[in-house]
Amino acid sequence: MEERLRKKAKELLESGEVKVVIGYGWNRQKTRTSPVFITDAAEVDRLVWNPLCVNNLSIYLTRKFKDIQALGRPAIVAKGCDIRNIVVLITEAQFKREDVYILGMACEGTVYRQELWKGELKPEIMPTKCHNCDVRNPHLADFVVGEKSSFTPPEAPAGMVFDKIKAIDAMGQAGKWAFWINEFSRCIKCYACRQVCSLCYCERCITEKNMPQWIETSAHPRGNLSWNLTRAMHLVGRCTFCGECERACPVNIPLNLVNQKMIQVVKDAFDFRSGYDEKTHPPMIVFSPDDKDDFIK
Amino acid sequence: MADRILKKENLGKLVASVNGKGGRFIAPVLDARQVVFKDVARAEDIVSDYILARNSYKEYVFPQTEVVADFTVEKHGVDLKSREVEARETVVLGARPCEATSLSSLRAIFTWDYIDEFYTKREDTLVVITVACTKADEACFCTTVGLSPETKTGSDVYLLETESGDYIVETMTEKGKAFVERHKAAFTEGGAKAKALVMPEKIGTIDLNKVGARLKDKSHYDDQVWARLTRKCIGCGACTFVCPTCHCFDITDEGTAFAGERRKNWDACQYDTFTLHASGHNPRHYQYQRWRNRFMCKFNFYPEKFASKGCVGCGRCIRVCPVRLDITEVMEEFSR
Ligand code: SF4
Ligand code: SF4
Ligand code: SF4
Ligand code: SF4
Ligand code: SF4
Repeated sequence: MEERLRKKAKELLESGEVKVVIGYGWNRQKTRTSPVFITDAAEVDRLVWNPLCVNNLSIYLTRKFKDIQALGRPAIVAKGCDIRNIVVLITEAQFKREDVYILGMACEGTVYRQELWKGELKPEIMPTKCHNCDVRNPHLADFVVGEKSSFTPPEAPAGMVFDKIKAIDAMGQAGKWAFWINEFSRCIKCYACRQVCSLCYCERCITEKNMPQWIETSAHPRGNLSWNLTRAMHLVGRCTFCGECERACPVNIPLNLVNQKMIQVVKDAFDFRSGYDEKTHPPMIVFSPDDKDDFIK
Repeated sequence: MADRILKKENLGKLVASVNGKGGRFIAPVLDARQVVFKDVARAEDIVSDYILARNSYKEYVFPQTEVVADFTVEKHGVDLKSREVEARETVVLGARPCEATSLSSLRAIFTWDYIDEFYTKREDTLVVITVACTKADEACFCTTVGLSPETKTGSDVYLLETESGDYIVETMTEKGKAFVERHKAAFTEGGAKAKALVMPEKIGTIDLNKVGARLKDKSHYDDQVWARLTRKCIGCGACTFVCPTCHCFDITDEGTAFAGERRKNWDACQYDTFTLHASGHNPRHYQYQRWRNRFMCKFNFYPEKFASKGCVGCGRCIRVCPVRLDITEVMEEFSR
């Protein structure tokens, strides 16, 4: 697959169809993957593909990365789950479909965290999203690399995140509150969760609006709660459960639980799942006269 | 001469003695599947099998958020009342030799053009008890910046783990001697065999002198290297928060229009608003320019201004980075 990917990347760069290929490369010790930006066709051999390719590179397509945009039209190495974020970005008019060349990777899953890799992709080191994945064969791509995956996700979504959500739902209001206050108490207000999320593309996040200061910047219980609730609310109906925020959080706050819970709520209320169709707008940004709720009319 | 020993079973005595005398005992414990420095009440919670704690213990001298003043808005103007730091004996057990040297770096900046008592008063009562490393990982690079598990400067007390899980105690400073004296009931004498220390391999392709020289020459500023190696940085700031020498903070007011508190909160040069001017201009427009600043701070500004190190090679920034930006790869590039 790696060879196929490199060959295609080379073609794209040589023909000038794209100016940069955003993909994965090795670190110095060849133990971890890290994003690379290939602008020279002679350097395509730096591209790698393996289960350590966890990052959702779609972040680099957002307007925060003006230096990358200045390079010219990009091609991006993307797994199906990453493509879902690209789809959301398109539906939210961040760029047009033709502005990016998608190198879709047929995927058999990745590790939850790179540190867990011991040379073999076992089910227990894969994130919940992979166990329920319906996009192992990329659903939107200009070119697909790899053999078709025959995996079919379970009828009812299953796995650690779903089990934990059930357990928390059963806790009752006071129990839930106590659970989340305790989890959020560890927050150090680094905003890594925001920075790593391709859907958190605002150039001026509400946390940075300080006249008045909407969200207290201090890492005290009040500030942590307001930040984490705000982050969650701003991603309702948009978040794809890619898991990058949880992976980036340096203090292991289980953000995937928040994300998946919101996804379930949106699914129940609007029968909508984000990131599948680049022509359908997410429910929070459209108004429909047929809306079954009438509070807005 | 017999060694001074801290027996594993006496750790509880030491914790109780420090806490009992009104002090604070900080040590690595397991929290949310990570080893972190935290207040400890029971010795059983202390873990010994770890490389470095996820966080730096700097938060006990430079808290993540603290009130520095209270204000009320009166008819005649604003009343501002400074807070006093309540400093008490704070013991950090389980620091590693690399990070023990970082306190002198923090002190250098917090006493440079202004004495920040919120820092100095806490540091004056902080006792750093280092446990030399018997484990390392591929992110450790102390030996590349001239330190090693055998480095004792910065530690008040330096401990070597023994085969049986006890510690051989060496006091390094007056503060360390006074500490052992104050809590002497927890220490015994004896002889024991220390476990072998683990030396991370020095990265042969890095030459700190060359890095320094290259950074002094201003032409590096617009070098393509910065973009090439560091444009993947997403500006999350996690590296600065875990770094034992990073020290930037922001002042913010919280409360109502009539009364509130003024806080000193951690900030990071990796944030895009860090250098944003009121005019809207940002001299560090791109993320790689912000990353360049972090590197410059460690390997140019610090060596130029202070005797202490800007980077101690603990590798925390490498481990925590969501895009695995490895500072040693940049050091390597500038050693060419
Ligand atoms: S969610 Fe699907 S596409 Fe994404 S990494 Fe897992 S298996 Fe691959
Ligand atoms: S899982 Fe996290 S990083 Fe991914 S889209 Fe949702 S909020 Fe963003
Ligand atoms: S990444 Fe984690 S610690 Fe950082 S702001 Fe987000 S929730 Fe808080
Ligand atoms: S820059 Fe990185 S390796 Fe150096 S002291 Fe800071 S966290 Fe440690
Ligand atoms: S942790 Fe990595 S991505 Fe985050 S600011 Fe530091 S270098 Fe950039």
